Amino acid sequence: MADSNIRVDAVMGEIERDVRARLRRHLVKKGGAADYQDEAIFDAVHAVLARAVDGRNLDATLLPELLDSDVEWRLETHLKLSTHRPAVGRFILFAKRRLLLPITRWLFEYSQENFRRQDHLNRVLFACIEELALENARLRRALTGSSRATAHHEEPKKHEGHEETSY
Amino acid sequence: MKLACVIHRFGADIAGGSEGHCRLVAEHLAAEHDVTVVTTCAKDHITWRNHYPAGETRLGPLRVLRFPVARERHLHRFMDLSDLVFADRASAEEQELWFHENGPDAPDLIEHLRLHGSEYDRVLFWSYRYFDTYFGLPLVADRAVLVPTAEEDPLIHVDDLRRFFALPKGFLFLTAEEQTLVAARAPSGRPSAVIGCGLDPAPSATDLARLDDLQLADPFVLYLGRIDPNKGCGALIRHFLRYADLGRRVQLVMAGPASMTIPDHPLVRSLGFVDDAVRDALLTRARVLVMPSPFESLSMVLLEAWNRGLPALVNARCKVLRGQVERANGGLYYGNSAEFASALDYLLDHPDQARQLGRQGLAYIDREYRWPIVMEKVERLLAATDPTCSPPDVGVSF
Repeated sequence: MADSNIRVDAVMGEIERDVRARLRRHLVKKGGAADYQDEAIFDAVHAVLARAVDGRNLDATLLPELLDSDVEWRLETHLKLSTHRPAVGRFILFAKRRLLLPITRWLFEYSQENFRRQDHLNRVLFACIEELALENARLRRALTGSSRATAHHEEPKKHEGHEETSY
Repeated sequence: MKLACVIHRFGADIAGGSEGHCRLVAEHLAAEHDVTVVTTCAKDHITWRNHYPAGETRLGPLRVLRFPVARERHLHRFMDLSDLVFADRASAEEQELWFHENGPDAPDLIEHLRLHGSEYDRVLFWSYRYFDTYFGLPLVADRAVLVPTAEEDPLIHVDDLRRFFALPKGFLFLTAEEQTLVAARAPSGRPSAVIGCGLDPAPSATDLARLDDLQLADPFVLYLGRIDPNKGCGALIRHFLRYADLGRRVQLVMAGPASMTIPDHPLVRSLGFVDDAVRDALLTRARVLVMPSPFESLSMVLLEAWNRGLPALVNARCKVLRGQVERANGGLYYGNSAEFASALDYLLDHPDQARQLGRQGLAYIDREYRWPIVMEKVERLLAATDPTCSPPDVGVSF
């Protein structure tokens, strides 16, 4: 059979490459980053952001942990009704819960849905920032490693040179 | 063996998900064992309102014990609590309360397991997220087999689940991805098996005339199941309308009960609930099955499509669906609108290759999902979870 054993990963690889190329052309045409003229740079940026969006657990990122102590960054997507008035408070709460909330439920749910979307987007952005920081850390380590290696290679030469001049 | 299958709702007229999986497995177990289904009187999965009479009945080879739901689900309270729990800001008490609020709150079912649980040789529980499993399983942990039907949704990250997943004697999983997800939260060494769900070969003759009155376009791509934003249907419609704007003349046919607004568009056709004959005909005539759900523990519809040699286009963000498609080589996947359009173009413009992907899906079903293969795995796991033996010595552990 001519078309036997079609490999999904091969077909998808082709589709993903084609979609990336079209996306790059579209962004360049619309006046996106000039660096996107370079296909390799675009692919590298795409890979970093895609890793953040698809590959990360959005509930386990570093930035929210750092923010947590002094900034309430999370959107309150659930409504808590409370009162500080000891006597009339119960009646106010009752009115809010039984009268006001049912009447404005549609508005509440509309806002809640948008808050949920924003909350998700915030977490995606946290993941993107973290992925960039990780990429930066990896590159720094690679850079430090390669400069150490270069220094290590150059040192004997200097030594050799020193010996040469001493003769 | 005397077996109990515990499930939050049960009935021949209850479609899909873990309830359908439980029914099929229980029916096949009944060929060899004495099987009792322990369930509630609820039919509606939103309210858990009592529908079936309480007490004992028979459904085919199965003895069914139904217990009343003490109170219906308070949706607003449940949603508020869900926000708290899913945002990882709930206390241990609030996490436990979530399982109570999720329901179905059937205290008599729990009492039955407390008093009579030890009379069963094994007690199989479906879906960790419901009241009956969460509060019932600890009472018979020494003989409990859990079918978690876990998905990669926020609930799986709840701290308390580490304690809960340490309780069952063994696990039955629907996919390898689900096994990995739960294994990360459960102690190692527990017997487990990935069973998916069994299928019989599709009937060779399908009555395509059942589609005549529906006046469907040719070609069409098919979505089959609950039409619900949580199933990714909102995103599917958005992707499809953008695709249609590019000038492609292909119809999206959506068959299933709708709980969201479906746009009035000449290329989007909603059929509502369809019977099995129409369902078969749709799966036979469609060019592609689309599965947009971001969270799945197993897609029965995907397996049914492959059972008929139909290629699939699935949401790549769902690890289970993508993993299934990659293992089967039975379709393509997409992560955004542009990939959706390109992948659909490929499947429509390369009919020979699309048919071959469908055939590869069918070969995968033959390899992994025929009933004798599935039941052999289940029987091996039941043998490995004998409450009188510890620790298990089988080759199917995590």
